[in-house]
Amino acid sequence: MTQLLDVRGLGISYRVGRRWLRALREFNLQLDAGQVVGIVGESGSGKSTAALALMHYLSANGRIDGGDLRFLGEDMLAMGAADLRRLWARHIKLVPQNAGAALNPSIKVGRQVAEALKAAEGIEGAKADQQVIASFRAVNLVDPAQVAERYPHELSGGMQQRVAIAMALMCQPDLLILDEPTTGLDVTTEAVILDLLRALIGGRGAGVLYITHNLGVVAQLCQRVVVLYAGEIMEEAPVAQLFASPRHPYTLGLLSSLPKAGQRKAHSRLQTIPGNPPDLRHVGQGCVYAERCPLVIEMCRAQKPPLEEVEPGRLARCFRWQAVDAFSGESAPRPHSRSLEMDAPAGESSTRPDGGVLTATALSKHFPVPRDLVDMLRGRKPQPIRAVDGVDLRLRQGQTLGLVGESGSGKTTLARIIIGLETRTGGGLELFGADIQGGLRARQQDLLSQVQMVFQNPQNSLNPYRSVRQTLCRPLVKLRGLSAKSAEDQALQLLEAVNLRADYADRYPDELSGGEKQRVAIARAFASQPSLVICDEPVSALDVSVQSAVLNLLADLQEEHGSACLFISHNLSVVGYLADVIAVMYLGQIVEIASADALFRAPSHPYTEALLAAIPTPDPGQRSERILLADDLPSAQNLPGGCRFHTRCPRNIGEICGRDAPPWRETSAGQGIRCHIPLDELAEATPPRQDGEGSQCLR
Amino acid sequence: MTFLTNIHRLLRVLLRQPQSAIGTALVFFFFILALFGGQLAPYPKANDQSHDARVSPTLDIGSLQLGAHPFGTDRLGRDVYSRVILGASSIFRIAGLGTVISVVLGSALGMAMGYRGGGLDELLGRVIDALLAIPALLLALVMVGIIRNLDFQINSWQAALAGEVTLLVIAILYIPVVARVARSAALDIKTREFVAAAEIRGEGSAYILFREILPSAIPALVVEASLRFSYAIFLVASLGFLGFGAPPPSPDWGLMVNENRGGFYRLTPWALEFPALAIALLVIGVNLMSDGIRRAVQKGGA
Repeated sequence: MTQLLDVRGLGISYRVGRRWLRALREFNLQLDAGQVVGIVGESGSGKSTAALALMHYLSANGRIDGGDLRFLGEDMLAMGAADLRRLWARHIKLVPQNAGAALNPSIKVGRQVAEALKAAEGIEGAKADQQVIASFRAVNLVDPAQVAERYPHELSGGMQQRVAIAMALMCQPDLLILDEPTTGLDVTTEAVILDLLRALIGGRGAGVLYITHNLGVVAQLCQRVVVLYAGEIMEEAPVAQLFASPRHPYTLGLLSSLPKAGQRKAHSRLQTIPGNPPDLRHVGQGCVYAERCPLVIEMCRAQKPPLEEVEPGRLARCFRWQAVDAFSGESAPRPHSRSLEMDAPAGESSTRPDGGVLTATALSKHFPVPRDLVDMLRGRKPQPIRAVDGVDLRLRQGQTLGLVGESGSGKTTLARIIIGLETRTGGGLELFGADIQGGLRARQQDLLSQVQMVFQNPQNSLNPYRSVRQTLCRPLVKLRGLSAKSAEDQALQLLEAVNLRADYADRYPDELSGGEKQRVAIARAFASQPSLVICDEPVSALDVSVQSAVLNLLADLQEEHGSACLFISHNLSVVGYLADVIAVMYLGQIVEIASADALFRAPSHPYTEALLAAIPTPDPGQRSERILLADDLPSAQNLPGGCRFHTRCPRNIGEICGRDAPPWRETSAGQGIRCHIPLDELAEATPPRQDGEGSQCLR
Repeated sequence: MTFLTNIHRLLRVLLRQPQSAIGTALVFFFFILALFGGQLAPYPKANDQSHDARVSPTLDIGSLQLGAHPFGTDRLGRDVYSRVILGASSIFRIAGLGTVISVVLGSALGMAMGYRGGGLDELLGRVIDALLAIPALLLALVMVGIIRNLDFQINSWQAALAGEVTLLVIAILYIPVVARVARSAALDIKTREFVAAAEIRGEGSAYILFREILPSAIPALVVEASLRFSYAIFLVASLGFLGFGAPPPSPDWGLMVNENRGGFYRLTPWALEFPALAIALLVIGVNLMSDGIRRAVQKGGA
């Protein structure tokens, strides 16, 4: 087989201020035609740098420190700009992470793709148009001729990504580099794109580099995996062997910090990788992973381990690779494990009516759409956006309710109504037994301190001009009425509770890592000792290696305070680990509520089923049978009639689905499903699934 | 990240780039003149026509040599060097104070508009748009004309205010401009989650506006302030030149240019050239500095 890429000892640096940051060091890679190699790493690991470096494309502040880069035997580092451009036009193609930003917003997508064709093969005019349309058809774009006439902003994220893939594949490149092509997309869309990629990549004979942070995607798509950490290759192995028996402690840590199938917080803690990735400005002489490694010995700090062949076809950069196998540490049991009664999550069967933290009945939020001139002239009133539309929820003391759904399903709006950032437009909301009217200003201080929130983006949720101490003291003074002095003491205790050293009190947010910021945000939320904490995607912006520690922390604090929790996430494995009850939301409605154990078992709502199936599993042996959802989420302004899911439902049973709103049916175990298909039939037709299986994802 | 370390950091970034270093140096140079002009000018009473620096204009060609009158003397025999030095203080006072007033009031107004939104924001926004549609100099001339023609009792506070008419005009003229910048900054910052965190803590509007939003808006406001300052200097000089600024004997640079143009320019060109040079240098300096400030802030520096 022809060798496409041969990279040896490649190093890349970036100039930041006056320093050179060595983003990639001693990078080696051999890629043959027809091979699919995955490069995995967390943010800052140098994976995107590697992607661009392999094309010999450098940003203005970058430089090559040394090494050798050959494409089909030719020395790419010695090539001039014109040669490189010819190579990029014809032989090497990149699919960028954010196709929406990579496409020119002012040119119709058909013409943009045609331009690429002209650059590569000099084909123009009607012949080019034909090829463009054919390429759009190849990536399963519906009505390709019409899509070609549209501008990028008129396409959904998934369609934009397809256009970018079509553009890259059209010229039959020898090497295809995919830089996180599904990262910004919903799981359901991601599943469709991954399927498409798998179909397109196979049998083309092109070499493919797939760059991602998501181990599940790698397992589903690649033959060989390179694990990057802090700019160095930690391990390289065939995909099956890597997942079965990692030879580097970092790979092991990554794999074991994912919540396992059926793992619940009541039984065990998630494994964590302590610490943070190193600062690339101060890379020492030892192993870059030494500071976080559980197997570290004296030698690791003194000298850098070489990337050596530990088995035929496997490389690892570790002195102690032999010890990794034996080490695979067990998940620690939770110190004071509790048993939560898992009875009826919804409905009137609650045994303790006084324990109700949250009761929502037919809760709605319709955002009015302002009339535009055309509407005024025609005398018509635009439909409101029905973000939340008739949601019933109950949450009891100490309970954790997981809320899942695609983006645009109304999860965040629901959370914002409960916390008071939005006011509802219909239905009823009770918190702690008291009816809630109006917005935040109408809430008493006591209620404010009872309900707190952890936000999605740690970057934004802390005021950059406040020290950690100031951030933590304010709610203590404001909501708990402590004096400035005792608030300071309490703030230090809070820091300790979130496992941060006391000297963090005087730091500012820009001196904290993402995980540390989120810890501070969690500490702030728990400062007022709330009975209900709302977490809106609290770990989705975090890297895998710090994510599990934050989840453990949330579980611990919640148990300690006995707080109820509304946990919003698009990641079912995370929700499955933390939540007692899971609600699945689709277009403003709840389509299924079930206990966490029951959700992963039949019967399921067809939408739940599709969500579960969409998640890429980090197990190369199990390439899941996907239930693919066609199209994109319909607009919440123009909802489909009947069952809202009927336009995309793989189990549509005909006319009734599009005509009548489906009934809400409950099983004896308290599981509720909104579907026309009777429950026993749903149970029968659902492929049997084990508890929580197939529910893992890196982020 | 206290205020002082921010200033320190900003200065360091400013001095790193040659252009902004030159700008900063120029501004500081004139600032020193403005502060200590009275001590530095060889003839501190050079605006006083009866002062003994008075030399017959026909005799003063020799005085262009370094020595008694390095910038020469004007047609009334006043030392131009001293007058340029003394003029720095008024331009800094009027442009600087006018800028500060407009930035403070404009920021408060704009941030309140941006944070509260709604009908008031809509209404004020339209008023601001209307004001911004009128050319600044025209508006300034109209305002000066109106204020000058009002009858005030001598020694009343209104009269004192009318004496500061240029300052007043700058403040009024730039409040809407700053308000627009502050409004858009507030619109952006209020969507960040730390503002929502403050709201669910039950903080009042004033706290959220000044303690949560303002700190993050300061970089944008500092950039705008430096830009306003350079325009204000220009405006002060323009009004002085048109005779709507300080009254005659005062050493106003714009006024000096006006007094010495036309036929006098052939007799005493230096009496026009040196104040004009001072205006140009200061405006260039402030512009270079504000460019540097913008760069520093955009880098996420200050």
